[in-house]
Amino acid sequence: MNSDGGGASEEDRPRDDEILAFHHAIRAADAEKLEFVGDKEPLSVLAAEYEAGNPVFRAKVEKLGQTYVAIRRARGDGNCFFRSFMFSYLEHILETRDETEVKRIQKNIEQSKKALIELGYQEFTFEDFLSIFVEQLDSVLPGRESSVDIDQLVEKCRDRYISDYVVMFFRFVTSAEIRKRAEFFEPFILGLSNMNVQQFCKTSVEPMGEESDHVHITALSDALGVPVRVVYLDRSVGADGKNTDVNHHDFLPPDCPTVEMPPVVLLYRPGHYDILYTREVQNLAPVPRVEEPQDLPELKGLQEAKETPVKSIQDANSTQEAIAA
Amino acid sequence: MASRARLFKEYKEVQRDRGQDSDIQLLCDETNIYRWTALIKGPTDTPYQEGVFQLAINVPEQYPLVPPQVRFVTKIFHPNVHFKTGEICLDILKTAWSPAWTLQSVCRAVIALLAHPEADSPLNCDCGNLLRSGDNRGYQSMALMYTRLAAVASVPNSSA
Repeated sequence: MNSDGGGASEEDRPRDDEILAFHHAIRAADAEKLEFVGDKEPLSVLAAEYEAGNPVFRAKVEKLGQTYVAIRRARGDGNCFFRSFMFSYLEHILETRDETEVKRIQKNIEQSKKALIELGYQEFTFEDFLSIFVEQLDSVLPGRESSVDIDQLVEKCRDRYISDYVVMFFRFVTSAEIRKRAEFFEPFILGLSNMNVQQFCKTSVEPMGEESDHVHITALSDALGVPVRVVYLDRSVGADGKNTDVNHHDFLPPDCPTVEMPPVVLLYRPGHYDILYTREVQNLAPVPRVEEPQDLPELKGLQEAKETPVKSIQDANSTQEAIAA
Repeated sequence: MASRARLFKEYKEVQRDRGQDSDIQLLCDETNIYRWTALIKGPTDTPYQEGVFQLAINVPEQYPLVPPQVRFVTKIFHPNVHFKTGEICLDILKTAWSPAWTLQSVCRAVIALLAHPEADSPLNCDCGNLLRSGDNRGYQSMALMYTRLAAVASVPNSSA
């Protein structure tokens, strides 16, 4: 919002399109420093980053190396969670060639589409974003006309148009899920802001560049049925004041079969998400999935949905508190 | 180009809905789909109710990821509209923009803004100060005067 408080002369004030142009110029300058998703780098780069830093960070980075082996950075433009999720998930499909999983997520995409329409969104406002994501899903399966290898996937995820459109699609999906289950999400949203559910979606979910919190992660993970692990790298220590174990939280969608390692693993440092790679990532077999019975009454799914993630968000909250502490 | 395809969908939608929303008339430039004109009716029970206001809409290439540029062509006395440039202070045209909005719904939001002036974020400080000092009568009469001067009857011809 503009407010010149009545003091400054109106002529001094840059016009809106000038502000926007300036804003874009800053982002463009940032883009030259880091792609939407960077190269896969060994975890040692993280150690180097904190070499002269806080001892708790250093201890945690070392422990991180026991489970994780590499990192891929995402650009810090407020969309890093969605861009990380996009790449991590597509790369997972590329590696596992899991057609069943793609069919499964496509069903969830259809559900989200229905939800959006029921919530009053005009289809033409989101269909372009949806179809770009579906195209990407198709391209990571083998034997398609558009099939890509990992280098091509990286290239696509660095393409502004593709990356922004997929991010926007995720924002629509996230918003629909939150609004569809407004009663469930309301208390968490009240904990984050002074907004009601609708305002929160309009101002903190749907606009590009708005940062993601555990509410967004829960909603996207639930809506698409994709488990997400978030590993928290911060300065918090255990209750004894010494424990430097690295906390993580698994966002598990309802009805999701237990997985040893979620397909999407992200590293969270206050205000930013990057992609993490586990040690055995190369020889990870496709995660076996229990096919959902077609005639599952929707009510059942909804009720479970209401119960399971409550716990998960509370867990995430306590982690957040740990960060704050 | 994605923006062109999207605008074309909006164009078809506008043609289809023609007459449904009688407060808004959206017209696309015949030679350039990135330039639109809107005629909006002032909302009832406001000093703008007798007027029809013209908006100029400029759509950037990256639309709908970025908002359209919208400004008043018709002079209007309102705290959130720049008196000289017609620039509008409305969150959805800036930080709160999302592609869920359309040119049509943006016009609706502008009409809502006319009915709900936000004196705390003024682009027109004189107008904002009237409201903030509680001089509602002063605000109403100024707004009404400019509506009659600029937005009544003269609209169809002087709009260009």
